[in-house]
Amino acid sequence: MSAPAFGANTQLALAGCTVFGAVAGAVGTFILGRRRALLADVAGHASLPGVCLAFLAGEALGLGGRNPWLLLAGGAATALLAAWSVPALSRLRGVGSDGAVATALAFFFGVGAVLLSSIQSHESGAQGGLRTIIFGSAAATSRADLVALTALAAVAAATLALFFKELAAISFDEPHARVLGLPVRAIDLVLLALLIATVVAGMQVAGVVLVVAMMITPAAAARGFRGSIGRIAAIAAAIGAGSAAAGVLLSLRFESFPTGSAMTLSATACFLGSLLLPQRRRRGVPS
Amino acid sequence: MREFLVFDLPVLAAALLALVACSTLGNWLVLRREAMTGDAIAHAVLPGLVGGFVVAGRHSVPAMFAGAAVAGVGAILLASWVRRRARLEPAAALGIVFTAFFALGATMLESLGARQVDLDPECVLFGSLERMFFVPPAEGPLLLGAPREIWTLLAAAAAAVLTSILLAKELRALAFDPEFARVSGAAPRWTGPVSLCVTTVAIIASFEAVGSLLVIALLACPALIAAPHTSSLRGRFALSLAAGGALTVVGYALAAHAPTLLGTRGALSAAGMIAALLAAAVPLSHAMRAVLSRRPA
Repeated sequence: MSAPAFGANTQLALAGCTVFGAVAGAVGTFILGRRRALLADVAGHASLPGVCLAFLAGEALGLGGRNPWLLLAGGAATALLAAWSVPALSRLRGVGSDGAVATALAFFFGVGAVLLSSIQSHESGAQGGLRTIIFGSAAATSRADLVALTALAAVAAATLALFFKELAAISFDEPHARVLGLPVRAIDLVLLALLIATVVAGMQVAGVVLVVAMMITPAAAARGFRGSIGRIAAIAAAIGAGSAAAGVLLSLRFESFPTGSAMTLSATACFLGSLLLPQRRRRGVPS
Repeated sequence: MREFLVFDLPVLAAALLALVACSTLGNWLVLRREAMTGDAIAHAVLPGLVGGFVVAGRHSVPAMFAGAAVAGVGAILLASWVRRRARLEPAAALGIVFTAFFALGATMLESLGARQVDLDPECVLFGSLERMFFVPPAEGPLLLGAPREIWTLLAAAAAAVLTSILLAKELRALAFDPEFARVSGAAPRWTGPVSLCVTTVAIIASFEAVGSLLVIALLACPALIAAPHTSSLRGRFALSLAAGGALTVVGYALAAHAPTLLGTRGALSAAGMIAALLAAAVPLSHAMRAVLSRRPA
């Protein structure tokens, strides 16, 4: 995890992570509104087996293990599978949403651990390997990784802008959205796609375990402010972008500071700061 | 035979003891729909564990245990304060607090040179089962050669079973009708906090040996596997231990010996294999129940 000669990539890493942080914060606003924090946690952990499979497939196909597009596709595939399995599991008698989340997490992260141990026992050493995927490392990402994650985050941002009104409607007043005749299920799928895009964009820099924090913590901090949904989402995006940038800089400055941890702790500091704001009834979910 | 005694037996013993400690208490958690509380505690104890090591200056079990307990219980209290103060849903409040604690712990682990403690960020998640072995002592009773983790796990398993037996009445009231339990006095105010403390102790004891991933699986999955097949509490406990035990043994055997049988090098993550098997058994067990009950009597 020590920072190698980085130089020219620093600015790209900073730019890519800032875009990722902004998207994560904005998407997080709607995830909190829809009460999907646990689903984001599962999706983050569940990208691990997909990334490992993509690594193995890349090696087998001769594309190299760390082909960024392959890793993104693999991570997204298993994260999607996990997100789909949670509602299916929670319909089983006596399981409930809590049990469903724990089961999906144990299965996908468990398979990920097995695949990771298999990859590590065969590692040539020349490959960077996948060790940094757990806690994230901006220093270990290649130029191609950064281009891929920035592109994905930008597409997610555009999608979010396009469906902003619909997402706001189902996140904060679902009954009203239904009365208006909005296709709630379809909009929910858009939100799921955004969630998964954010998870896989962030997994290499923030790590699969802590990427969830970059979605929910800035969004929770932003709810301390007053204003319209648009303004709250913009504040969440700003906090996310700032925390991600701070995380990258801190982890490059202090070698032993994993990027994911640095980003998470920066966002947590913002959240704690938001608790000092004057109290009022917060927007969205009543307690 | 000697190979089994030195390498396989201690790992199996540790995993099975962790199963007893976690799944006994996990049954109560699942009944109360709080399976993810265990997940949060399993992540949140990390900074306390490392802090205990730093304060004691060496690998001291009591110091690390105390630190981890403070962090685990502290995280739960903090999450409930955050939930009220920021008016968040419980899962989001828990998520914010436990990711912050975990990030802090991972940073401490990397920066304080705690690497010498056979604790690294990866074995925090996936456990250090593979590094455990039994050294038969030259003289004296054979058990003296058992790895240190076995003794902590044994104590935690005993505490979990004793709590479940002694507080069965109170915990049952709390699990099935919390409102009535509170009003009627069937579950005194201390029931919740006491069971939280015992759960935290069981998680900490298991955490170091089997890692947070397997702790989460052991807390939730055996209880969920047993749930559709029995309506009695006693049956739930017995079935979850039996099914969990069988899957643990199979999972370990697959992880340790499948690569050799397939002719490849190395071993697979035992914690990951056991967790994945336990989780996969949950929907299978429900499907089995559905098939059995559809068959005409």
